[in-house]
Amino acid sequence: MTIRKVLIFTPIAVILFLLQSYFWVPTYEQQSRGNPDRLNEYITASIGDASILNPILSADSASSQINSLVFEGLIDRDEELRFRGRLATSWEVFEEAFFYINESASIPGAGTARAEEVVDFLRKAKKNNKVSDPRLKACLDNIREIGLIPPREFLVIKREKDLKNSKKEIEVKVHGRPPARVKLTLTAVDQDLFKNLTQLLGETYFTSFGGERYVSTDPPVSKEKLAAYAREFVPATEHNPILIFHLRDNVLFHDGHVFDASDVKFTFEAIMNPRNLSPRVADYEPVKAVEVIDPLTVKITYKRLYSPAIGTWGMGILPEHLLNQEALKREALRLGKDPEKFSMRQSGFNRHPIGSGPFVFQEWKSDQYIVLDHFNRYWEGPPNYKSYIYRIIPDPLTQEMEFYAGTIDNYGVQPHQVQRLKNDPTYQSFSGPSFGYTYIGYNMRREPFNDYRVRTALGMAIDVNKIIQYVLYGQAEQITGPFVKQTDYYNHGIKPLPYDPERALELLAEAGWTPNKEGWLEKDGKPFQFTLITNSGNDLRKAILTIAQDSWKQIGIDVRTDLLEWAVFIQERVDKADFDALILGWSMGIEPDLYQIWHSSQTNPYQLNFVSFKNKEADELIIKIRQEYDHDMQVEYCHRLHEIIAREQPYTFLYVSKWTAILDKRIVIKEIDDKGKVIYKKIEPTKTGNYTFYFNKWIKLPEVPTFALEG
Amino acid sequence: MLSFIGRSIIQKIITLFFVSIVSFLIIHLAPGKPSQVDPLNPKFTPEMVERFRKEFHLDKPLHVQYLLFYRDLFTGKTASWKDNQPVLRKIWERFLNSLPLFIVGTILTWTLSFPVGIRSAIFRGGFYDRSATFFSYLLISIPGFFFAYILIIFVVNSFHVPVIGMETFGIGDPSWFRWFMDRVWHLLLPSVLGATGGIAVLSRYVRSQMLEVESQDYVRTAMAKGLPPEQVHYKHALRNALLPFVTMFGLILPGLIGGSVIIESIFSWPGMGRMAYEAILARDYPIILTVNFVSAVLVLAGTFISDVLYMVVDPRIRL
Repeated sequence: MTIRKVLIFTPIAVILFLLQSYFWVPTYEQQSRGNPDRLNEYITASIGDASILNPILSADSASSQINSLVFEGLIDRDEELRFRGRLATSWEVFEEAFFYINESASIPGAGTARAEEVVDFLRKAKKNNKVSDPRLKACLDNIREIGLIPPREFLVIKREKDLKNSKKEIEVKVHGRPPARVKLTLTAVDQDLFKNLTQLLGETYFTSFGGERYVSTDPPVSKEKLAAYAREFVPATEHNPILIFHLRDNVLFHDGHVFDASDVKFTFEAIMNPRNLSPRVADYEPVKAVEVIDPLTVKITYKRLYSPAIGTWGMGILPEHLLNQEALKREALRLGKDPEKFSMRQSGFNRHPIGSGPFVFQEWKSDQYIVLDHFNRYWEGPPNYKSYIYRIIPDPLTQEMEFYAGTIDNYGVQPHQVQRLKNDPTYQSFSGPSFGYTYIGYNMRREPFNDYRVRTALGMAIDVNKIIQYVLYGQAEQITGPFVKQTDYYNHGIKPLPYDPERALELLAEAGWTPNKEGWLEKDGKPFQFTLITNSGNDLRKAILTIAQDSWKQIGIDVRTDLLEWAVFIQERVDKADFDALILGWSMGIEPDLYQIWHSSQTNPYQLNFVSFKNKEADELIIKIRQEYDHDMQVEYCHRLHEIIAREQPYTFLYVSKWTAILDKRIVIKEIDDKGKVIYKKIEPTKTGNYTFYFNKWIKLPEVPTFALEG
Repeated sequence: MLSFIGRSIIQKIITLFFVSIVSFLIIHLAPGKPSQVDPLNPKFTPEMVERFRKEFHLDKPLHVQYLLFYRDLFTGKTASWKDNQPVLRKIWERFLNSLPLFIVGTILTWTLSFPVGIRSAIFRGGFYDRSATFFSYLLISIPGFFFAYILIIFVVNSFHVPVIGMETFGIGDPSWFRWFMDRVWHLLLPSVLGATGGIAVLSRYVRSQMLEVESQDYVRTAMAKGLPPEQVHYKHALRNALLPFVTMFGLILPGLIGGSVIIESIFSWPGMGRMAYEAILARDYPIILTVNFVSAVLVLAGTFISDVLYMVVDPRIRL
């Protein structure tokens, strides 16, 4: 009897105990409307937790989100995606260009010339107003100063792999004795400088320089190696773009320490320090030197032309005094760890960050929430919200429930919910295209994908609008090329491929593929047959896989499909370029640098141009875009590149998906005008669709405000 | 007895050694790389990937990696690749979070299943048995997450109280009593959900075991000598039906560290299961391997405990 009673009454008692706690729990009402502090809090939810709150080390979106509020960069982008000063008030970009005197070359009209003569020759040319070619004229006018660097000697020790024993390294002494060098200071960066100067100095002045003559090594190395050293240490020509930032005065870190130029230098050095394993090294690799001119001026010299470099200074600046060598050493000793092995990655700073951004870090409970408070001494004035809370809720449905209950202020709507929630009068909604696209890529190493007509025909056979309408509930836009649609790099003049199976069949017939008796396409007795693959676990891609298979089957192409686990898909198929066609997506940044994905040098295994797109003009444009510092020129090159890619159809560009977010209607923009009067404004997204751009001015009102109709 | 313990411990250490090798190999043979060396990010240059590989010892031969990993594990130096936090501390924190769920869930499962199952066995084929069978199979076949959603929506809509997380979000600094009760409330749904599935399965076993025992002669004898039915069922029969459950009870121990990914994700519970799951997705080897190792230890400890319990339950068994 007793056993039975125990077995029945224990669980009942436990459950009753659990149930009675209901009476002690605050209701949602108490949490949201009943809590006056709630109006000063902005609560948002995320699927995943942050991992490391240090802007130079983080690589995931949750960490980046928090870092962007706690830390601040020198610049960021404004409503129109132009650069805007933050910790920097202004900046200038100019260039120093160098070339070695080519003693053996003959200059048209002057013969072989020594260093001083070349400088005089250039100075004269600059003064001469009768230069016929306008481009050369502009190029010469752009030169601010012409100087001469006397010959110098250098000795560098390089560590190289031993040829006989690949595991051992040997030291190679590289000795150089290059001739004098001309230094040109330019007002604006000019990637065509040396090309234009050949008009004056002779076609081969730079190419026939032959740096190898001035370099010797001990022990001797192969000819190729020597040429590589010559290119590295005695390059015939060199562009050194220079970026000078003028920093904002009296900016404080959250601990009250004053921000200055040495923090910028420190942040750069921390990224480059191999011990920190920063994932951002690639962005800063082109930097030659960061110099502190005075506490409010930093000069950054680059090794070569690399225009995406300016954008990298949006990177959050670290406080030097908390993370420098001595500080880390002290921390290591305090924790009883080996100071030699203790790097920034181990520092407690990554869980208690201190920056100079609008929000101060308060608390982080792993997988629960992160709390930030506004920074009262923020240089632009503290944000209106008192605190920013980042909750980690991994399940979208629970996020939605919490949003309805008022304990989260925004909710990222799923595509199938948009119809229902977008026009719900209780919320304000925003939407816009995201930064990424989905595509079908063809392996152009293989028959028949090496024919652009075939690729175009395959694209024409798929009705992308139907995919958008039925698979994505209309929450996507068609895309025609590799640039971000909301930037001006994207060429809106290009029409998407029409859905036209008839024309597709014609194109295929031109390429030699004609239907056989059963209706399947054939060429020289060989049927048109291939496999389309994608990764499993992505329902959208799976749906597209089926739709594409069916569309192609309708015009007589026998397509097999295969779904592979992500890691296998990448390692065995994509990296090894072992596929016919695949469905994948790219997410993109604003910078129009396409080198890794589209340049012909990136087609080897494990590189990202896995479809093997090779086009000479595209290659040139990609390099030009990387080297161009003038926005309008860049846009021009991008439009041309977009045209080429759209014509070649290495991918069938499908769509860029749209995001939709809903927000409590009581959240508005609060501004104080010159007379001290408070003005409330409705939140409007910027042109690029960013609705959180004015986040620092947001506030929640107790009641839904009514706005006068705007004309 | 002592010799049994000694032998068993030696055997288990050997097993553990092989488990450690096999789990290490499986992780390294599985496709996919740690997210830090993910090659599909244009920002990652080959040099950087190489640097990370070096830092994580991925460039060394497997047996060296194995030794390095277990050396770090036993000296308590392993750190997660994701955020550089010490693995053991992370696991300990999550373990404490998962513990209340586990305890309440286990208590409910291992008490309620017996009366439910036994009654089914006694009234075999009757209305109660049929409806119990129906509900058991219903609960077994409905996926846990679906049930969880229904419950959350029901509770939130009808009572307007928060249910997700370990405590009410933004509760501030209430008195310790309110704080405690708040925690208890948040335990209710996830632990009851976890338990319902368990009860559904376990009560089926109880029923079938009891059916077997109830037809034995000694049960008939006990009935015949006029003992109250409860005593017959719960003392004479149950004791003899208990043996298989001893083995099962030993095996719930690893559940301590496994947690439940689905329940924890839906309820935003910062528990073990979620951490391990995310570590697997990110190929965070130190966390995966440590969790693996600890759960192997728990499995072996569980079997040891059930061996000992066998003796307690069945005096005929001599070890």
